[in-house]
Amino acid sequence: MSAPVIVKPPEDSPSDRAVAPRQAQALRIGAGVLRWVLAILGAMVIFSILISFQGANPLEVFVDMWASTFQRPRSLTEILIRMAPITLAALAVVLPARAGMMNVGGEGQVIVGAVGAAGVGLAFDQTLPGGLVMVLMAGGAVVAGAAWAGIAALLRLVFNVNEAVTTLLLNFVALDLLLFLIYQPWRESPTAQPSSREVAVGAQLPTLGSTGVTIGIVVALVATLALGWALARTRWGFKLGVVGGNAEAARRAALPVTALLLSALLVGGALAGLAGWIELSAVELKLRPGFGMQIGYIGFLASWLARHRPLPVLIAAFVLAALSVAADSLQLDSGLPAATINILTSLLLIAVLGWTTMKGRKP
Amino acid sequence: MSIVVDVLSGGVRGGTSILYAGVGETVSERAGVINLGTEGAMLAGALSAYMVASHTGNPWAGALAGAAAGGAISSVHAVLVVKRKANQFASGLAVLFLSLGLTSLFGSSYVGKTITPFTVWEVPLLGDLPFIGPILFQQDPLVYLSYLVVPLVWYVLFRTRAGLLVRTAGARSEALTVHGYSVARIRMGAVITGGFLAGLGGAHLSIAYTNSWFENMVAGRGFIAVALVIFASWSPLKVFGGAYLFGAALSLGPALQARGFEINQFALHVIPFVLTLVVLAVLGRRTISAAPAELKRVFENAPVDP
Amino acid sequence: MHHRTVKAALAATALAAVLALSACTAAGTATATPDASSAATEGAPGTGGSAVGFIMVGPRDDFGYNQAVYEAAQVVGESYPDLEILTAENVPEDDTAVATMEQMIDRGAKVIFATSYGHLDAATKVAAAHPDVVVVQQGNTIEGAPLANMGTYFGTVYEPMYLAGIAAGEATESNKLGYVYAFPIPQTIANINAFQRGAASVNPDVETVTVSTSSWCDPGAQKDAASSLLSQGVDVITQHQDCTKTVIDATEAAGAFTVGYHADASELAPQGWLTGAVWDWAPLYGQIVDNITAGEFVGGPFNANYRVGYKTGTNPFVLADFGTSVSEDTKAAIAEAQAWLGTEDGSPFVGPVLDQDGATVVPDGVIPTYDEVDGMNYFVDGVIGSLAN
Repeated sequence: MSAPVIVKPPEDSPSDRAVAPRQAQALRIGAGVLRWVLAILGAMVIFSILISFQGANPLEVFVDMWASTFQRPRSLTEILIRMAPITLAALAVVLPARAGMMNVGGEGQVIVGAVGAAGVGLAFDQTLPGGLVMVLMAGGAVVAGAAWAGIAALLRLVFNVNEAVTTLLLNFVALDLLLFLIYQPWRESPTAQPSSREVAVGAQLPTLGSTGVTIGIVVALVATLALGWALARTRWGFKLGVVGGNAEAARRAALPVTALLLSALLVGGALAGLAGWIELSAVELKLRPGFGMQIGYIGFLASWLARHRPLPVLIAAFVLAALSVAADSLQLDSGLPAATINILTSLLLIAVLGWTTMKGRKP
Repeated sequence: MSIVVDVLSGGVRGGTSILYAGVGETVSERAGVINLGTEGAMLAGALSAYMVASHTGNPWAGALAGAAAGGAISSVHAVLVVKRKANQFASGLAVLFLSLGLTSLFGSSYVGKTITPFTVWEVPLLGDLPFIGPILFQQDPLVYLSYLVVPLVWYVLFRTRAGLLVRTAGARSEALTVHGYSVARIRMGAVITGGFLAGLGGAHLSIAYTNSWFENMVAGRGFIAVALVIFASWSPLKVFGGAYLFGAALSLGPALQARGFEINQFALHVIPFVLTLVVLAVLGRRTISAAPAELKRVFENAPVDP
Repeated sequence: MHHRTVKAALAATALAAVLALSACTAAGTATATPDASSAATEGAPGTGGSAVGFIMVGPRDDFGYNQAVYEAAQVVGESYPDLEILTAENVPEDDTAVATMEQMIDRGAKVIFATSYGHLDAATKVAAAHPDVVVVQQGNTIEGAPLANMGTYFGTVYEPMYLAGIAAGEATESNKLGYVYAFPIPQTIANINAFQRGAASVNPDVETVTVSTSSWCDPGAQKDAASSLLSQGVDVITQHQDCTKTVIDATEAAGAFTVGYHADASELAPQGWLTGAVWDWAPLYGQIVDNITAGEFVGGPFNANYRVGYKTGTNPFVLADFGTSVSEDTKAAIAEAQAWLGTEDGSPFVGPVLDQDGATVVPDGVIPTYDEVDGMNYFVDGVIGSLAN
């Protein structure tokens, strides 16, 4: 737990590249890859045993799942659509983590982001041109997501209440806020299931050509690259890393710790808000009671899978999105409940969390 | 029946599953481990209790099985965070997803099964008391058990050697190491005990309260329990009040509706959460200073600004 | 430290490779099976498929709505041995339903039943994207002209609920009936109103207390709702939930009477079971599949908001068997009312119908049409509860 007092350079600084001999480096990578392979295999074996209790043939299940997830014409589209909000929700964890903070509130920030976008959309989509409304909605989502994370930031910086606790609590407040709005003020019709009015067609996210993939994935990719660049190459990113490594040292080095912590949480919340905007404007089109359910928590796990690094987040989000697409195969091809996929997902996570790093890492 | 009695007795009935889980989570957090998988432990408990009650016809056997299942699935969390030093929040969520999947896989064939559930048993004399009687003493046996278990947990935590070890694991774990105790073993024990109690809470939901099993039927109560522990500032006795407050917030909606009132129930649901946040803000340092020190370290990767 | 950089680079490369690979296999699959799509454009929507899909919002053995769907789907499978029956449970009423239906289409389904009220948005999206597939939705209503490959169907649920109301009105001693419902959608409102009017037809002092759970299946909320009603002195409870077990169980335990819904659950309430409205979907599903596979869907009866009831003689909603406590006189009264509902002049809503405020909503002697009943947005006189819930 005790952090070193020296100020660390950013992790991928080229300065120590020459230090380690190549062989040792290759060995370490080899061992790392082996651990990952074993972890994934272990998860698959345990999953196989569990589903065979219910009479399923694991080999057939995996073959069907693979075919259903990667070999249908639509499968890549489905994965990319699901991957976009997960990626952004994961980045919302990556950034505060770099500054040593834990944002467990992605779930609420996604919901509030969508609420912000919907509020703007409901106000303007009948009067303003669609493209403009779309951009305004994105702005509404960014502001709402950042503000929601800002509550946690305020509680931490002014009242000294820990952000992991407050962001978690704010998730429930966000859900109740969403439900409150769609049960009364924003309800499309009093004699229908509760939902808001559908976003006007012009304000919905356009698709890339005829692929069916919306530009949500582009937004997610750009955000990932931009964040990766900012963390690795800007002074802001460097300072965040310093604060995350040792805030006391950072303070002694006269860094504006409060402003840095605030910026990390606010930008994180804004990213989660964008995830809510994409889920609303590209996928759901309306706010409904189950809106965005678990995107925030799945994003949280994606960030951990990726060890809080922007580029690997893309892989983690891709894998988690693919697994959620595979759920339908379990039900349609193998006769297992769709939610069974959660077993495989969680075993994978457990293996990665527990068995792919050396013992004694920072918890 | 007056609406106050109606809401309060509903608060006790509906709050009991949250109470068990909240007290369990208190034990775990007192030892320095937060468990977001509490929701998963409740789910596992709800299904296992239902399965065993359905096969044996004995709800007590079901309750025991529910508690055991809650403990078992929490042991995954215990191993991950204590032995493998995994992040507590990520590990808890992973355990939640594991439980969602497992209960869906093994629970689907039990949705249509019927069981012999716990039934309401009115306590002689006490049940006849005005006001108090219908609220506290016209309930099911697992509610009465909670009246005993929660003070017992308090007693063990604060008046016995075992409790001292658990609290020290959460407050100054170095002290344990110095005296030759295994911090890891104590924490594992606390997390599994917490899961055991959460499993019992799940069992109350499936075999005493709703007498049903459905996929994902816990519906967020486990998360409420985690929030509740903070609200109760890590005191098992305060969890009582908090759990019943959450329970009452859930039962106020239908009680008002049944009397013809118009109500947006989500304005009610949010009250306990907002209250917790306000308490945290107003009491700030004081609330957080009630938190076990090692738990604070889990929360805080970086020291806070002075 | 630096090996992590390498790892990240490796990982990024791996992602790119996977993306490229998927794209290739996807393209490969698309070109390898041109027959499915091109054949369909020649034939009528819904023809030429090898499977029929059913999506359900809840579990298939819920003693309720979804169980009725599942059982009828199996009957369809027996009548069409060449068609594979694809069923998906617990499909949420949001956009994930679109993906599930498209997965069914990829497995050869040209006919899809989207069986929950809230699946309409997803069903419309799928129908618009797949002109060769027919999507029929159960229970909701399409506003305006439906797409050529879409329709809705339902029975007049409120007719048997009116009859069940007669049994409830005779059975109650407190003159308070309870109704646990999910959402105030028009079919539910019509059910509640018909139940109250059926009860009032034999017991003028009766009232119906309503509580909503805001979920098709949330056992905890159902238990809360039932408890609130029972503590109000209600002694007959019915419901409009997908899973019916929890409410029936609570009602039976309290010694009150149960009126069932969706499925015959009399085994859950051996003492208190009165009767219930029960789905028998199989004949209608059969007619729909016949119609679609014969290429006659477009412009046909199911390419619309198709409604059947006692007047058309094919109501898929039938009355369950009576419980032991129902007297012969009550049974006779119900049989008489059922015959009356099948005539020109019969309806649960023959005017005058007053709303909760005492205003006349259906004038004296007027019989609202099925369409008008489908648009009900008020509770009638005698119902306790607010629609704003």
